[in-house]
Amino acid sequence: MDKEALILFFLSAIAIVGIGMLLSWLVAPKSKNIQKKEAYECGIPTVGSSYMQFRVGYYLFAIIFLIFDVETVFIFPWAVVMKSMGMTAFIEIIIFFGILGLGLLYAWKKNALRWD
Amino acid sequence: MNIYDFTGLTRSIHEGLSSSMSPLAVTVTEFVIIAFAFMIFFTILGLVLVYAERKICAFFQLRLGPMRVGKWGLAQTAADAVKLIFKEPMITKNADKFLFNLAPFIVIISTFMALGALPFAKGLHALDFDIGILYISAVSSIGVIGILIAGWSSDNKYSLIGAMRSGAQVVSYELSVGLSLLTIVVLAESLQFSEIIASQEAGWWIFRGHIPALIAFCVFMIAGTAETNRGPFDLAEAESELTAGFHTEYSGLKFAFFFLAEFVNMFIIAAIGATVFLGGWMPFHIGHWAGFNQIMDFIPPIVWFFGKTGFLIFLMMWFKWTFPRLRIDQLLTLEWKYLLPINLINILIMAFVVLMGWHF
Amino acid sequence: MNALTIIFYIMAVLMVVFSIMAVTSRKLLRAAIYLLFVLIGVAVFYLAVDYMFLAAVQVVVYMGGILVLIIFSILLTSHLGERLQVVKPTTMLFAAVLSLVSAGVVISVINGFTFITSTFEGDKLTVAHIGQQLLSYDQFGYVLPFEVISILLLAAMIAAIAIAKYKHQGKS
Repeated sequence: MDKEALILFFLSAIAIVGIGMLLSWLVAPKSKNIQKKEAYECGIPTVGSSYMQFRVGYYLFAIIFLIFDVETVFIFPWAVVMKSMGMTAFIEIIIFFGILGLGLLYAWKKNALRWD
Repeated sequence: MNIYDFTGLTRSIHEGLSSSMSPLAVTVTEFVIIAFAFMIFFTILGLVLVYAERKICAFFQLRLGPMRVGKWGLAQTAADAVKLIFKEPMITKNADKFLFNLAPFIVIISTFMALGALPFAKGLHALDFDIGILYISAVSSIGVIGILIAGWSSDNKYSLIGAMRSGAQVVSYELSVGLSLLTIVVLAESLQFSEIIASQEAGWWIFRGHIPALIAFCVFMIAGTAETNRGPFDLAEAESELTAGFHTEYSGLKFAFFFLAEFVNMFIIAAIGATVFLGGWMPFHIGHWAGFNQIMDFIPPIVWFFGKTGFLIFLMMWFKWTFPRLRIDQLLTLEWKYLLPINLINILIMAFVVLMGWHF
Repeated sequence: MNALTIIFYIMAVLMVVFSIMAVTSRKLLRAAIYLLFVLIGVAVFYLAVDYMFLAAVQVVVYMGGILVLIIFSILLTSHLGERLQVVKPTTMLFAAVLSLVSAGVVISVINGFTFITSTFEGDKLTVAHIGQQLLSYDQFGYVLPFEVISILLLAAMIAAIAIAKYKHQGKS
């Protein structure tokens, strides 16, 4: 039942946006104007393309995020059984966090967490 | 046993349908009912929250806010929604049309699927998975893809900068939201929302979990506000420098969808906070005060749920209108140098508390 | 033909189509979005066999993590009007032969492999079961992989930082 309901929610979300867009397309006025298709900036014509060089910092944060994201996935099952498994689970998670803490510490010391 | 229990109502609907239809038809009818109920709820929620935001903002600034349309301006947001439908949808000339139109779909799918898993009251709960919290963090993690492609495909510098900032912020704070919820999962021993609520019958986890639960709650509120891109963390759409961030080029109803998703995401964060930390629809009980507990039981669970959620939403709006906006370096420092290490240590403390049996 | 088989074949066809679109698209970000659809298909497969946890992990790690990383790197390096170059016909032929050969190897290995049926008893696999297996240190426990993963993640993090920070040190 729940699995099928997931598909239902997926389809209804698509329906909301789809119906909305269709409705808006049907009733909204349309007029052609070259100026209107310009990017909205500050009133004067846009200079150059929208592409710009971003700092590598964004990418670095994305990678560190990915690593902690994978880590969080492993903590989910741990958190559920922590109470029932007691000491074993506690020692295991201390080792797990300890090793990952080293990684965070390394990033910190290498200034990877600083935005400059 | 409880007059406010919705299980009886849903069961009688199910039995009523089963008596006159085949099992397949029953399932289809039920699905259609659920889908329509959630679509209507989704829309009304957006209208109410936008109205609340405008009124609360006005009161914080000693203004009246919307007053003209309807009594106290109550119909203002509905009028705005109608107006937005009649606005011309525009696309910039170099935009990638396929991705430009796909972005609202991804954002709304992510929000709508997360909304389905919230427990509104006993028995009023569409998707009750064994992996509840993981499910919500999974579907809401897709939303950031919508934000990134919206910014990239609209061929606008503001949109692109806004999308990059927004993406970095959402993914960073997603970690803290997940980890602070896991602190309570250690106590509740389940990821399923109905079981987390059931485990709080004797008292809400924020009171029973000692200091780690309080710390987790603070971290959750900060990270939740940041994950939904709301002020004081709204630098992705800092209007004084980036116009409107990643949705600068969106107009009409497509813009409305991003706006709607932002507000419903705020509701989802507040609802998860209310469920995990404040007991969801569970009434407020104090130990053995039987009389007091009975009086509290008279208030319907659905009122408790929306009351707690409304309180947390008010708190998030209060943040927005009180604190000045952060810079991006401050934002990332706050997450990676403060919230994340605090969170990791906090989980260990909570595990130790559970191990020693110090919690109530 | 039950519903499960129908869903499987529909999703399989969609995934093949989107995979081909992902590798043939000349717009980078569109390729990434086609990859998103393929990954959703994988999550649906896990759901179809009642493995909710793995489906959620697939969404969290692959869509919310790796795909976001891919999109970030596309945003950092390429711009909207950019088209990828079409490679030379000889390269294309070589790639086609190579992918056919590797597809053949994969199919023959899968056909020759005897899959062990799950020994799990009980009607539904819960997160608690997964947690107990993950943390248990008896014969079929997974505590060693669990701890080794943290070392793997540590190595990945150090490597990423070392590469990203390399140029800065070289300049100063």
